Amino acid sequence: MKAEIHDETDLLETLARKNAVLQAINRIFHEALGATSDEALGRLCLAVAEDLTGASFSFMAELTPARDRLHDLAISDRAWTVFRRAWPEGAEQHVPTHLDLHGLYGRVILDDASLIANDPAAHPDAIGTPHGHPPLRSFLGVPLRRRGRLIGVMGLGNRVGGFREIDREAAEELAPAIVQALGGKRAELALRESEDMRRVSMELVPAMLWRTDQSGNNKMSESQWADLTGQDEREAADWGWLEAVHPEDRVATEATFRRSFARDEPLEHQVRLRDRHGAYRWFLMRQVPRRDEASSATHWFGAATDVHDMHLLEERQRRLVAELQHRVRNILTVVRSVFSRTVEAGGALEDVADHFRGRLDALARTQAIVTQTASGNVDLQNLIRDELLSVGVADGEAVTIAGPDVPLPPRAAEAIGLAIHELAINSVKYGALKCPGALLHIAWSTDGDRDGKRRVRLTWTEKGVPALAISPCRQGFGTELICEALPYQYGAETRLTFVGGGVRCEIALPLQEEGRPF
Amino acid sequence: MRDRAAVARGRTTILTDAITLNGRRLLIVEDEYFIASDLKRALEAQGMVVVGPVGRVADALTLIEREPIDVATLDVNLGTAMCYPIAEQLQARGVPFLFLTGYDGWTLPEWLRDVPLLIKPFDSAAVIAAVRALCGLERVT
Repeated sequence: MKAEIHDETDLLETLARKNAVLQAINRIFHEALGATSDEALGRLCLAVAEDLTGASFSFMAELTPARDRLHDLAISDRAWTVFRRAWPEGAEQHVPTHLDLHGLYGRVILDDASLIANDPAAHPDAIGTPHGHPPLRSFLGVPLRRRGRLIGVMGLGNRVGGFREIDREAAEELAPAIVQALGGKRAELALRESEDMRRVSMELVPAMLWRTDQSGNNKMSESQWADLTGQDEREAADWGWLEAVHPEDRVATEATFRRSFARDEPLEHQVRLRDRHGAYRWFLMRQVPRRDEASSATHWFGAATDVHDMHLLEERQRRLVAELQHRVRNILTVVRSVFSRTVEAGGALEDVADHFRGRLDALARTQAIVTQTASGNVDLQNLIRDELLSVGVADGEAVTIAGPDVPLPPRAAEAIGLAIHELAINSVKYGALKCPGALLHIAWSTDGDRDGKRRVRLTWTEKGVPALAISPCRQGFGTELICEALPYQYGAETRLTFVGGGVRCEIALPLQEEGRPF
Repeated sequence: MRDRAAVARGRTTILTDAITLNGRRLLIVEDEYFIASDLKRALEAQGMVVVGPVGRVADALTLIEREPIDVATLDVNLGTAMCYPIAEQLQARGVPFLFLTGYDGWTLPEWLRDVPLLIKPFDSAAVIAAVRALCGLERVT
């Protein structure tokens, strides 16, 4: 019976101890929720272990990835209090790192086994204590293991009366809970960090994100889709989001998505989406399947990026290239035509070359004017002076230029530039600019035509030129340009006469710039 | 057999050569005077009767309304407007036409992509061949 009573006492003691351990484990998991870092959780666990074993202070350390040193994870609050008392001015507040695998705690790691040393100074592994450390009178070290693998050590110090086997057992039973709580806390922190990353990414990246399940049901992220399209989650569900796709893109979009689902393939698709105000913008939609272990897609992740501005730029660039091609090819065709006409007019090769070069230069000048002043206007007086200068003539006694300020639209400038060039060349060769004593007067004014449209009337009058038997200008390129091309192409009214004393040319040109396409 | 085939081929050649553009009425739409004028000269030399040339959409539409036209050449960009309304009218009347343009085909609207197109600067021989093809006198190669 005695033995039974003894057994019963033992049993009760064991139960009480087990109960204490369970309560301690409970406390760890309960309080773990509130810990903001793994170090804070470490301190909490140490406090629980101290309460359970009667230790005065404690620490825990973790093996570095290389497993050759210990990284101090936490020092208990009680230990910090003792340190601060012993070391009042600015005791080291940081948890030390990279401890060598020596001393009593090192022995626990090396042996992967618990160690009780109730006379620590006499232990063969004793290395003493660092400055500020309270004198160590007893030591209990317990290995920390995760899934059976050693990951660190918990060290408890100074139990009144020394550590007992039951303290070791209690600490060993607590250790897995500590490891699990720490692991859980780290996973939670990592998750929170990645969640933060995701949220920040979503704010930074101008994209809408979604998740789609096997049946094509969409789960749009946050409220991005609703913010853009005005569709709520219910409206967007079950392919309802296609309603926000431009009608012209809808069939192709649905087909593309269905193909992606059917074939488990990623998709990339450009599409116009209607915003809540009814305006369409281009989006690049991309979607990738997520696969389970059997490697069939279980759901899809998708993102839609606003590429509208890029789209407009691309479109504009395409149109610019097309426009450039059009202009270059057109002017080449004109140059070809001018060349044939210059050659057909005949004359010495040198003269033909001279004429052609002059016309090419005049064309180049007017082209420059047209392209450089696409939005602005050309000053008529400057235009005339430039053309005269190109044949080596400046205004002076023999040449007078007079007229009001007239800003010419580019096409009018093109026409007048070419006409003035032909008149000037003719004049230098046969007219007022060749004969001493002859005069050239260039004048202009503005008025309205029969429909009241504003136009510029320019007259080129030569005086004092001896009569020529044949004026080449009558049949040449210049005549065709002034009498045929200007009316045909620019809607001008022109008159070119060879009166006594020289050439007289009148040009009436509309100033109204009709809108050119593009 | 071989000889007869060769003879037949020779005869065909002679026949197509015999059919000329003479007297066919061609509308030229081109806003650039010198290009229009060159086209007119080249096609008149083939005996064609040139309607126009004109450089504006409104003028072209008036001519289509008033004049009989067998075939047409259109510049795409007429400076102040694109030639599409003219193309539409010609298609509606079943008048064959081709584009003479500085643009590549892809810039044209979808419904005009099948229209034959010569890129500027063009050779008058190429234009004549294209016009003959439109008149059913030659195969386009």
